[in-house]
Amino acid sequence: MKTIGRLGSYVVALATVATLTVVLLSQREVFTIANVTMFFLLGAVLVAVTRGTGPAFVAALASFVCINFFFLQPYYSLLVADPREVLDLIVFVVVGAIAGQLGANVRQQAEDARQQAHEHDILYRLTRAFNQITIREEVLQALAQAVREDFGAAQTEVMPDTPTSAASLPSATTHYLLLQSGDTVYATLRAAFPEPLPSPRIRLLMACAAQAGMALQRIDLNERARRSLQFEEADRLKTALLHAVSHDLRTPITIIKTSASNLRQFGDTLPADEQAEIAITIETEADQLDRLVGNLLDMSRLKAGALRLSIAFNSLEEVAGDVAARMWQIHKQERIHLNFPDNVPLVAFDYGLLLQALTNLVDNALRYEPEGSQVELRGGVRGDEAFLEVVNHGETISDEVKQHMMEPFYRGKEGRIGLGMPIAKGIIEAHKGELRVLDTPGSGATFVLALPFAKESVIEAQSLGRG
Amino acid sequence: MKLKVLVVDDEPQIRKQLKIGLNGYGYEVFTASNGLEAITLTAQHTPDVIVLDIALGGEPDGIEVCRRLREWSKAAVIMLSVHNEEKTKVAALSAGADDYMTKPFGMEELNARIQAILRRVGVEPVVSAETEICVGDLTIDLVNRLVRVEGEPVHLTPKEYDLLRLLATHPGKVMTHRAILGAVWGPEYGDMDHYVRVFVNQLRKKLRENPSRNVRYILNEPGVGYRFVSRE
Repeated sequence: MKTIGRLGSYVVALATVATLTVVLLSQREVFTIANVTMFFLLGAVLVAVTRGTGPAFVAALASFVCINFFFLQPYYSLLVADPREVLDLIVFVVVGAIAGQLGANVRQQAEDARQQAHEHDILYRLTRAFNQITIREEVLQALAQAVREDFGAAQTEVMPDTPTSAASLPSATTHYLLLQSGDTVYATLRAAFPEPLPSPRIRLLMACAAQAGMALQRIDLNERARRSLQFEEADRLKTALLHAVSHDLRTPITIIKTSASNLRQFGDTLPADEQAEIAITIETEADQLDRLVGNLLDMSRLKAGALRLSIAFNSLEEVAGDVAARMWQIHKQERIHLNFPDNVPLVAFDYGLLLQALTNLVDNALRYEPEGSQVELRGGVRGDEAFLEVVNHGETISDEVKQHMMEPFYRGKEGRIGLGMPIAKGIIEAHKGELRVLDTPGSGATFVLALPFAKESVIEAQSLGRG
Repeated sequence: MKLKVLVVDDEPQIRKQLKIGLNGYGYEVFTASNGLEAITLTAQHTPDVIVLDIALGGEPDGIEVCRRLREWSKAAVIMLSVHNEEKTKVAALSAGADDYMTKPFGMEELNARIQAILRRVGVEPVVSAETEICVGDLTIDLVNRLVRVEGEPVHLTPKEYDLLRLLATHPGKVMTHRAILGAVWGPEYGDMDHYVRVFVNQLRKKLRENPSRNVRYILNEPGVGYRFVSRE
């Protein structure tokens, strides 16, 4: 391309001279030789400014020849009658060459400026893109894309850390960009180019790599800050746990210990029914302890973000039925009223976890349910939400309590540490759902477990149901 | 003749309490503290039931022991675990365990599970000539494929009936979703677990289950499968 361009410049130079010659030839008798020379000088300078030194020199030389041949007497010969005219011609060529050089300089400067603007543009776009990215992989992708599109790399490859193998030696056409900040190398980008890059491009490439390194560092630091916040939260929780739990853990342990030692020392002298009662106490308190430990484990797993959901299409009614049956086993009376429409579609959730969340909420609701009245369990789908509702008819909860009742270790009326609600909340939120507390019309509280629900899954589940 | 139970657990106090309790219920009890001892004792005493802890503090673990025992022993296996994880339960069941329990548990429940397994051995279709199953208000006439609730006939589709029959002929046994799919629909249904859920839901409605009054025939095993109630 370049050679053709350059050749073209020379053609333009010669064409300019030829045109001038033809035009001026027709007016040869009108113009003086000085006029003619000036026109040719103008042509040579124009060629110089637009096409550079080489073409200018050619134009000057050609002009010299043409003037000599066509406009200096004797016409149509290269003989020069007056030797002083040779001086004119030499000056002519020198002026052409100087003008050409000046023009070339100006054009080079313009070209440099444009190149610089282009480089700034590349760097600016990349930096701006990096600033908006919060994921490591996207930084690497953006850089690789820029290296391919703006630098014309034939191939790019991201390598972890620093390349060490012998295959990774740099060459004229392959560059290894260390994406680093300070002493830390976050990644390496290998870029292969079809031909060696000029050194300004290499510098720009390095600048881009440095920007990418800084972006990676920023992301790394953010990640660390987030993690340390999580640790802090876990630490705070642990402290609160130690304070709050010691009482609740020690109470059942104390009861178990005293009951067991009573049995050991006085078992023989106690009547049979009292012995049995003590044994039952031990069992009940052990259950209480087990529940508490289970809750604490769940809580710490939820807080640590270590909860893994095993999501499957499940039936809300099945979960509610499980809870209702469990409550019957505990209370030996019908304290739950199930209210489900026919054909509730299957909903995607983790059965075990949702069962636990609902059990906690129903447990809580039953504690405040008036004697002889039932907690209602409703479920269904509305819009893009699947829901379970636990309707309690006790006292209406004040807004202040509503605000705090979901916090870990909130102490309710009975002074028990509240882990049930925050665990339920954590489980629902892990499903990207929401736990809401509303007032029951009349009096009481209604807990709404809302789960995201995709309509397209309905069709699948219903068609299966008829299959 | 006394039924023989082998208790396998690496914790001496648990072995001791289980032995006291099971002796009290009238079983002959052997104990083993690790997997290899369990295999040896099974070969020597041919227990009817093995109560097997999953974590045995070394190799082989309970699941591996169960797998090896299944190659030659007919003893029923109840697995114990401190982890209430669905994956562990499914692994135990597919290694050939008959049942599993999560620690802590009460002795009454363990005894009930042992009794359920032993009863089942006498009910499974291969060895049983039983023609009618009655639980609570539910009656299943296996010969005429008739199902009645509170004496009234219930109309079931053929698939619903097959599902009910499969569960009801294995009372107290945990049937995994996959096992149910394979038996009722065929193995090509792979992991279409929700199929089973939809059908169980319909079946429950037709059987007029009422969980809040504890009227239930099909029990959930969260993330694992279903279990038909065992008859007391």
